Amino acid sequence: MSKAVLQVQGLGKRYRLYASPHERLLALLGWADRSRSHWALKDVSFELQRGQCLGVVGDNGAGKSTLLKLLAGTLQPSHGRLQWSGRVTAILELGAGFHPDFSGRDNLMFGGSFIGLGRDEMLRLADEIIAFSELGEAIDRPVKTYSSGMAVRLAFALVTAVQPELLIIDEALSVGDQHFQKKCAQRIELFRENGCTILFCSHSLYHVRQLCDQTLWLDKGLVRGLGDTESVLTDYRTHVRLQDGSQQHRAQAGAQASSDLVTDHDLQSWVASGKRAGLLEARVSGLDRDCGPESVSLLTDSDLVIRVRAISVSDEIPSIGVMLEQFQGTGITSVATHAEGANLTALDSRDCWTTWQVTLTFPQLPLHSGQYSLSFYLFDAQGLVVYDEWKDFIVFQWLSPSLTPGLVRLPHAWS
Amino acid sequence: MRYCWQDWQALWRARSLLLTMTRRELASRYAGSVMGIVWAYLQPMLVVGAYFLVFDLIFAMRMGNNAPTSRVGTYLVVGALPWLAFCETLSRGASSLVEAGALLQKNALPPVLFIARNVLAGGVVFVPLMILLTLGYLPVSGLSWAVLAVPLLLALQWALALLLAHVMAILAAAVRDALQVLGFALSVGIYLSPILFPLSLFPPEWRWVLFANPMTALVLAYQSVLLQGLWPDLTLWAVVLGWLLVLALLLDVLIRRSRDELVDWL
Repeated sequence: MSKAVLQVQGLGKRYRLYASPHERLLALLGWADRSRSHWALKDVSFELQRGQCLGVVGDNGAGKSTLLKLLAGTLQPSHGRLQWSGRVTAILELGAGFHPDFSGRDNLMFGGSFIGLGRDEMLRLADEIIAFSELGEAIDRPVKTYSSGMAVRLAFALVTAVQPELLIIDEALSVGDQHFQKKCAQRIELFRENGCTILFCSHSLYHVRQLCDQTLWLDKGLVRGLGDTESVLTDYRTHVRLQDGSQQHRAQAGAQASSDLVTDHDLQSWVASGKRAGLLEARVSGLDRDCGPESVSLLTDSDLVIRVRAISVSDEIPSIGVMLEQFQGTGITSVATHAEGANLTALDSRDCWTTWQVTLTFPQLPLHSGQYSLSFYLFDAQGLVVYDEWKDFIVFQWLSPSLTPGLVRLPHAWS
Repeated sequence: MRYCWQDWQALWRARSLLLTMTRRELASRYAGSVMGIVWAYLQPMLVVGAYFLVFDLIFAMRMGNNAPTSRVGTYLVVGALPWLAFCETLSRGASSLVEAGALLQKNALPPVLFIARNVLAGGVVFVPLMILLTLGYLPVSGLSWAVLAVPLLLALQWALALLLAHVMAILAAAVRDALQVLGFALSVGIYLSPILFPLSLFPPEWRWVLFANPMTALVLAYQSVLLQGLWPDLTLWAVVLGWLLVLALLLDVLIRRSRDELVDWL
């Protein structure tokens, strides 16, 4: 049995809340402690083996950041025990700690000493770090002349210069431009392939599902679920849906209102947004559209035919993913063009932007009666970067010809 | 004393980082200026020079009887330079945690590192100046074994500054007002010490008040060595060590009560 890289036992973090700093002083001097306790995290236990990847999900304020900070060592636990072996790298908030008056190179050398890299090691790594950050000449300019993106790039290149045993990531994939995000994602993927243990906290359930084999769901500081990613995420998403069930209908209304072609005005707003790609439209043919917003459209065709349109800058060939799920329940299947080598059709190309279309057909939809939902994703060609994500965008009712209970009709034979 | 000891061990483990950080702290203070770190040394030297110029050369003021020396400027400088060093080191050390808040929240570093960094930076500036002063006073003090007390006194002074800065830094983390109180105490402190006036000028029944200033004993010791060439009186050593002990005990309690949450307060 391999030794655990990280062991967490009964970990808890209590914040003492004082009515005023004055009361904090009194408590510090031992006169009177009138604080109220707030447990941001309570009794969290888990163990990570080498090469495992744990996703951490939860609503805002569930204690995710507190957990990550405790693991990174920037916060002291009030309770419980933490044990780890080897190098721990935390990508929490990037770019903090750079001195604006010093050059990027100088900050790099100094920043290295904070994460335990000596001068000799830093001299050896510097070229590679600067190359990865793509700063080029700018590395010798003061950091105060950098854009926020440049500082973040340098910081990411620095902290990931050496592969750690345990990598802690807090939403780091959502920083920088999409080109750099992709590089970050690739580097993390490489670490993972090399056997690095990863703890990943994100609101992007797609990324959690893609990266993590285990998932921890925190709710109000307590562990609500821990285990296999698929089952924990299913529970978590049911919880999220119950919280904001009403949003379904708005998304649906949007689906019906979206126009067929991109207007000049839309194109302008894409250019202005600074994004590289986005979803434009998703439609299911044969939906019974007369249904009001209070009820769900009925699929009248026997085939499920989905048409998805997207837009991207012309040097990018995006990939489209579709996920079919039971409404407020289990995922049934997900398909993506990059995974199956399917091609998108270019509809139109204007001012360096291309509109794409793809049609997905599930012939003789092999599902039992029920409500189903469709989510749409737009990726880069390798499926590493999520450019756009429309969760539960279309919800439809399906009446199966068969009346027997179940979820899917599998191909079968009697003999 | 368990917690003080733990912090000391953490400092020792991170000693090379501490040195890097100290160099960096000094460099960043004067980043963008042409003269750079020279300013750090120049400013105290100008103050000391001004005392000599005004009191000894221009006004040629003389001390009364019972004073350890006759010239006012010569007397003033011996107390003023260590006091300047103490004020600068202490106030920078006390505000270190509050200033390093963002860094501490994002890096797993022991907070004491930042306090020690600022205190050490004060040492890098003022210890050479104090040694220069000692050498410059050899004609006054005469060459004697007493000069060997200076390195010991300097070590004690910086130990005192480190402990007191740590106490104040924790208090300042809890309530920022601590820094204001400290600023006031340091500006009044010079009158509660035998820096401007010899001890003999204070009424005997009030002299104990001066010892509420932790620097009083050290100033008297410096004066004894540099002005009279005498090894400092044993009671002065005892008072300094007493201060160190009291501060260490207080610090231990403060670290214990604040340890888990210190970074959250910043």
